[in-house]
Amino acid sequence: MSQSLKPYLTAVRHSLTAAVSLEDFASQVAERHNDPEIESQRTPEVLLNPMVISRNENEKVLIESSINSVRVSIKIKQSDEIEHILVHKFTRFLTGRAEQFFILRRAPIAGYDLSFLITNLHTDQLMKAKLVDFIIEFMEDVDKEISEMKLFLNARARFVAEAYLTPFD
Amino acid sequence: MMGSSPAVFKFKSVVNDHIFFGPDNSRLAVTQEKEIQIYEVLPNNNKKLLTVLTGHDEPITAIDISAQGLIASASQDRNAIVWKPLDASFSSFKKDLVLLRINRSATCVKWSPLGNKFAVGSGAKVISVCYHEPENDWWISKHLKKPFKSTILSVAWHPNNVLLSCGTADYKCYVLSGYVKGVDEKPPATLWGSKLPFNTICGEFISSPGGWVHDVAFSPSGDVLGFVSNDSTITIVYPKGEEQFNVVSSKTNYGSFKTLEFISDNQLITAGHNCFPVIFQGDEESWEEARSIDTTATSQKPKTFKSLEQDDDEEGNTGSNALSMFRQLDLKGKVQNKGSSDLPTVHQNTVTTLKFFDQSHISTSGVDGKVVVFPI
Amino acid sequence: MLNLESSNLSLEKTLRELFTTEKSVSIDRIVSDFDNTLFHISTPDPAEKTKIVLSIFLKCYNDLVKYGDVDSYLRNAYNDSQWYTVLDQPEDGYNFSIFIDLQQISTTVLASPEEMESLIAKLSLLKRNALAAPFDVAFKRYDVLAQEAAVKNVDLYVPEENSEEATSVINYREDETIYIRPSHDRVTVIFTALFKDETDKIFGNVFLQEFVDARKRSIQNAPQVLFSPYEPPLELRGLPEFQNFNYGQQSATSKYDKGFVTFVLFPRHLVPQKRENTITQIQLFRTYFHYHIKASKAYLHSRMRKRVLEYLKILNRAKPDQEEKDIERKTASGRRFVQRI
Repeated sequence: MSQSLKPYLTAVRHSLTAAVSLEDFASQVAERHNDPEIESQRTPEVLLNPMVISRNENEKVLIESSINSVRVSIKIKQSDEIEHILVHKFTRFLTGRAEQFFILRRAPIAGYDLSFLITNLHTDQLMKAKLVDFIIEFMEDVDKEISEMKLFLNARARFVAEAYLTPFD
Repeated sequence: MMGSSPAVFKFKSVVNDHIFFGPDNSRLAVTQEKEIQIYEVLPNNNKKLLTVLTGHDEPITAIDISAQGLIASASQDRNAIVWKPLDASFSSFKKDLVLLRINRSATCVKWSPLGNKFAVGSGAKVISVCYHEPENDWWISKHLKKPFKSTILSVAWHPNNVLLSCGTADYKCYVLSGYVKGVDEKPPATLWGSKLPFNTICGEFISSPGGWVHDVAFSPSGDVLGFVSNDSTITIVYPKGEEQFNVVSSKTNYGSFKTLEFISDNQLITAGHNCFPVIFQGDEESWEEARSIDTTATSQKPKTFKSLEQDDDEEGNTGSNALSMFRQLDLKGKVQNKGSSDLPTVHQNTVTTLKFFDQSHISTSGVDGKVVVFPI
Repeated sequence: MLNLESSNLSLEKTLRELFTTEKSVSIDRIVSDFDNTLFHISTPDPAEKTKIVLSIFLKCYNDLVKYGDVDSYLRNAYNDSQWYTVLDQPEDGYNFSIFIDLQQISTTVLASPEEMESLIAKLSLLKRNALAAPFDVAFKRYDVLAQEAAVKNVDLYVPEENSEEATSVINYREDETIYIRPSHDRVTVIFTALFKDETDKIFGNVFLQEFVDARKRSIQNAPQVLFSPYEPPLELRGLPEFQNFNYGQQSATSKYDKGFVTFVLFPRHLVPQKRENTITQIQLFRTYFHYHIKASKAYLHSRMRKRVLEYLKILNRAKPDQEEKDIERKTASGRRFVQRI
């Protein structure tokens, strides 16, 4: 793990651990509603100040918490258009399986590549520490995965080009 | 009846609230989503289901029992119900719907010390003070409306049966009068105030860094007020008379606390997202953590997540659980030894309620579906 | 599967079946190839099942006629065997037809498997041979120009004056074109590069960059490859379709918004013994290139799918272990049983 990645992930881990202290909270605005306050944004006092943890301008995490839900949005490093397209494809793959990734939000928040929505229903059923582990592990792995895929693409392109041009000789 | 080690009762889903009652605390009521289950407590931490109380159509948020043995329940369906036991074995109950006159979730319920009224906090930004009207044989309520601007998260009664305190989602804690003419005797003056008509506001406190006030409690004498808020802070208020107060707060490194009770004016016990109960003690100068009640948590320092990971690889798996091993490999990509990923505490998730069981025990319930009786 | 075959495998298989089946059957099969090319193998007369017609349809046949005199070229190419004859009038809807009589073949050719294989190979190269025509013309023109230049003693380092030399324009696909331009010291072959989606375009750029760099890096004797992602190269600027091109100004909506891949074939690629090989190789470029883009995408997809499943497993670790005793077990027949501990 690189020098700057570790403190970045540590900061995200601690902030997330604090943010997923959720409870059941029925809406005080709409009768018989009980929905994630961070999504409905109708009750200002149950929303906490959003927080951005940023490693650099291309890599950051936005944590928006509320009394019964927390939204975590990740911006994945994309240094060129190849990484951009790979990230785009990868996140689409993930969101296409949002049903299985119960904490994954189908559409990311504007300006981010991937958003998670954790509600009190999730923290009731699941182990909070492991949920945080998952997000951290994902963040740690996804950069590696993207750059490996990019390397693969370049290597394959080189090989293919050479294989095509060699028979001319 | 309860011994020196924690007694654990496990239930299927989240236990929002629980009560022990009956002769020798041999009955246990727990909330399970929309119903209340009544159990008889048997030796060796066994339990027998006596009856299930149904009547709410949204999850039940809180239950409480009066000095006379009436159970009150509050639910997100905007209702409160008073359940009156019909026999000595507590196997059947009479159900009375309370006229709360609110249109949002009822969040909390507490009987007054004398048991002649109870308070229900709600998302409608009011507290309904409910009492029985014998003429019509029904439970009616008066609304404490001022000065709330947000959901009431918790209520607590002063020992004098008149004053009550509440915590709200807009970071406030209030002390005000729930005096009901015709129901209450005129109370003697306290440090909180002397003339106490209904809805007199005797104190308003703010959780300084801004956190939802999850729970409030008066000390047994009524001269100390404490509240816990989402910024992991415990705040203690000493009334000095004539609307003067001395406020002491103690910030902790634990996840925020969700519930608290005073043992004495100098000791309180609290629990919450840290998953185990802790005793704090102090005075008008300062309050400090004294000790944890969950001995499993104190003997073992809470593990970091990393060390939990390493534990997973210890100990071989015997052939007998090969099935579970393969299932886990398929589902989780690696094998976790049973229990190895558990927290080193009795409760495996947030503790939501903490109550006195008797002089030397408390009972807690939590999101992990457990009710635990801890010796203090 | 790194290099693609230039013959049509499906056609090859069909022919082999026909040649080796004992009992003659009537057939009516359409085989498609890249670039919307179609082959039709049929027995037009049901009574005579041994008489087979093989026809080809090429989208760019008119261009091939115009720039390559493809008819004569193919007639010439398929004039070498007694087992088939070129039909004077191609089958309706097709550009070129060959007649094969199985009866003759089965008696003699089958005795010699080598002869049969070479026959099959020749027939299944029909598309390659058709597309070869304009290249052949261009290469021959190069011979002439090179000789003229030698006579005139042209200095190789003097830039070629903007000669009147004609450029062959083969519209082999919808919106995609091969340009062939002979000159006295080289033959320039230019492919347009058009991508249907953004991913293909980005992947394509990665690949093309490697084509451009390959010669500098390792294969010095390969044709020079140039890639212009937007502007048509100098060789094409004289063409009417690029007359009004807005040079130096990129627009996303321009109808010229496609790239150009230039192959410069040097004399060493044009010597008679290399010529056929060069033609085979160069005309496969687009197919090969797109095939590998698709293959990379497919690989990355399966890799992502696998990775996503792994993430799911990590997330599943957050699920607490089920209490064993809460699970009711049933046998396959639906009978319940209780685990005895």
